[in-house]
Amino acid sequence: MTTSRGSKAVVQTTEAITGTQPVRRRARLRGWERAVGPVSLLAGAIAWEAIGQALDVSVFPPLSAVLGRLGELLADGTILGYLATSVTNLAIGFAVALVFGLTLGVLMGVYRRVEMALDIYVRAMLTAPSLVFAPIFFTLFGLDRITIVGVIVLYSTFIIVLNTAEAVKTAPRSLVEMARCYGAGDRFVLRRVILPSATPLIMAGVRLGAGRAVKGMINGEMFVAVVGLGGVVMTAGRNFDAETVLAVMTLIIVLAFMVVWLVERLDRRLTAWLPETNRA
Amino acid sequence: MIEIKGLNKYFPGRGRSEPVQALRDVDLTIRDNEFLTILGPSGCGKTTLLRNIAGLVPWDTGEILVDSQPVRGPSPERAMVFQNFALLPWSTVLANVAIGLEIRGEPRGPREAKARELIERVGLSGFEDRLPGELSGGMQQRVGLARALAVDPSVLLMDEPFGALDEQTRRLLQEELLRIWEQTPKTVVFITHSMEEAVLLGDRIVLMSARPGQVDDIIEVPLARPRSQHINELGESPEFASITTHLWTRLRSMQVLNT
Amino acid sequence: MSSAEGPALNIDRLLDSRWFLRALAFAAFALVWQVYATAAGGFFVPTFTETAAAIGRQLASPEVWQAFATSNIAMVLGFGLAVVIGIPLGFLMGRFRLAERAINPYLNILLVTPLAGIIPLLMMSLGIGLASRVIVVWSFAIVMVVVNTRAGVRQVDRSLIDMVRLFGAGELGVWRRVILPGSLPAVLAGVRVALGRAVTGMVIVELVMVSVGIGGLILRYQAFFRFAELYGMVVLIILEALILLAIVDWVQRKATPWASMTSIRD
Ligand SMILES: Nc1ncnc2c1ncn2[C@@H]1O[C@H](COP(=O)(O)OP(=O)(O)OP(=O)(O)O)[C@@H](O)[C@H]1O
Ligand SMILES: [Mg+2]
Repeated sequence: MTTSRGSKAVVQTTEAITGTQPVRRRARLRGWERAVGPVSLLAGAIAWEAIGQALDVSVFPPLSAVLGRLGELLADGTILGYLATSVTNLAIGFAVALVFGLTLGVLMGVYRRVEMALDIYVRAMLTAPSLVFAPIFFTLFGLDRITIVGVIVLYSTFIIVLNTAEAVKTAPRSLVEMARCYGAGDRFVLRRVILPSATPLIMAGVRLGAGRAVKGMINGEMFVAVVGLGGVVMTAGRNFDAETVLAVMTLIIVLAFMVVWLVERLDRRLTAWLPETNRA
Repeated sequence: MIEIKGLNKYFPGRGRSEPVQALRDVDLTIRDNEFLTILGPSGCGKTTLLRNIAGLVPWDTGEILVDSQPVRGPSPERAMVFQNFALLPWSTVLANVAIGLEIRGEPRGPREAKARELIERVGLSGFEDRLPGELSGGMQQRVGLARALAVDPSVLLMDEPFGALDEQTRRLLQEELLRIWEQTPKTVVFITHSMEEAVLLGDRIVLMSARPGQVDDIIEVPLARPRSQHINELGESPEFASITTHLWTRLRSMQVLNT
Repeated sequence: MSSAEGPALNIDRLLDSRWFLRALAFAAFALVWQVYATAAGGFFVPTFTETAAAIGRQLASPEVWQAFATSNIAMVLGFGLAVVIGIPLGFLMGRFRLAERAINPYLNILLVTPLAGIIPLLMMSLGIGLASRVIVVWSFAIVMVVVNTRAGVRQVDRSLIDMVRLFGAGELGVWRRVILPGSLPAVLAGVRVALGRAVTGMVIVELVMVSVGIGGLILRYQAFFRFAELYGMVVLIILEALILLAIVDWVQRKATPWASMTSIRD
């Protein structure tokens, strides 16, 4: 499924998690090379500002205008209510996805027949564009929070299911055998061998699930068009207010990075035993 | 005493292919407190035989008796040491060594005391709180050995335990294993690919031939005990040379037959 | 080796058959849906059979095919551009550290950003024409192509590169003999993930902003309370995604039979 703990945030590769493959040699970066990333970001920001100033059209406001707008929105507090709604939706949806995803994933990983029965459907749901379910939820629940939460759950559950199932299934047989050799029962094997060894890959799924949950939240809210940050984006879009659209998008990106960062911290705590070289 | 009588083991073939016979009519009696080494070409069923004795996998026909009791599943009486160490990477050395006792339901205090004692015996004092990933291969296998010894088994099953180690570490661990075995005798079934190792460690060597795996010959090793102090001299001795030559002749004839 | 099927069905054998279990799961799902919709669904929830019937009608309806065509034009254009631009970019990033360093922060932002947010901006600047939809699809898809291609280049075994160098190959030879074939599985895996994202982008833009194509049709069904058709359309869209991915899978298996598929996705 997924593959190395990507350097920054999002990307994961299995080889580095299981650590079975030789650790890729990372050439040491010279000092100035380390600076290339930030410099490139800075250059992008300057270019944005300059082009925005030069064009002077409402659809492409300069960076300063966007940040100014974001400051205003935060200062006068209008955005905070929407932010709170969005974050609440996200928290509920992601929590439900976690419970669902982990349970189903462990079941599929442990019981071969459950996996055989459900794997294609889980894969189908993973590849399906989840937002198509939004109109269905909307007909059922209208503007209720459940509509958004439902979209978030659909966005984030299935990647967690698949990674968890895969992780549980691929727990090292030699360790399971070792435990059996000392007379361990199923519960001991699951609790002390399978789940710990599955944790890195499970957390990779959880991290992807978190990123997807944020997308589900925004996309769902944009579909419903009147609640949360997504609603603000839609309203601003209708009013041709690009400054607000970009300001809110900036906020959403910060939110997304924060969520991923939180999951990453949790991941590091749960998998502190992984050798540092396997994180790269 | 371990008695293996008429053991046959098949693995189902993939898809529609024929089942593979891994063991054919294996008869073998292993004496109490004997150090038995098993030597044979790759894929001849050594691991399979050991896992059968451990009770980890079923066989098709025949029986295995340990002290006249048929083997029905794993038992703490028969501890195993694995080629790839099989340590829990998320648990400390101490917890790894204690795991057999933990599974058996021993309370924390006594099991950790016992684990510490064994960690000391394999020369790892001071590393109790390290994780396996922080240890060298040789140290990891010492942990594996300590873990097996911690449950006080009467039989130690070892599947190429030193196969993944470098020459020097391997020699050190051989000496250490012999020392421990001389102090607290127990039955050891030791699989190896190395003729020298088979001779230096074993009272008897079981030669297996491949496809399907069967006992080809059993050879008594005429080297005197205790050996732990003078492994090096033994390695130079004429008895050692003649027996390895003999083994090599036998093994080579099997390879020729195989190819 | 397996013996001939006896006349009496062996239940254990059935329970070990993947297809039987899948069919069983599907039947259970359909049954629960049917019973629930009949008993408690009311006006808003069509039954399984009503939905199936609607799908049948839709498959015969020119209106539906027209909608799929409209949507997929944008999808194919955007996806194609993403592949054509994304693969070279990924190679560049995988091979040259400086390029990688410079582009990486933007990729990271793109990976976590809910890209649907750019839709309103596109509407403002380009209107609701084909171009806007193509750009949305393109931006949804390209990230995965780049990221996977880059990973593919990076995971190429260094010793293989050294090996062809020792035989006298230059940079071109290294690319042709090692990097391109070595990274092909990852590139195709990226294309596969990107295709899924492209379909997602296509649906999102139509549901959120430009009510044309299949998204537009869904919204129309919703507005006119044609719920069986609404559900049917959802099923059809998922089917389209699955069929497209099955095709890529097939290509993948043919082109890189040696590869075990791992891909970076989000
Ligand atoms: N789980 C399995 N399924 C199918 N065949 C197996 C399985 N395990 C072992 N075999 C087959 O049984 C035979 C014996 O395998 P085994 O692992 O016991 O050999 P071995 O003597 O330990 O080899 P090595 O010296 O390489 O460790 C081999 O032909 C192997 O292919
Ligand atoms: Mg073996």
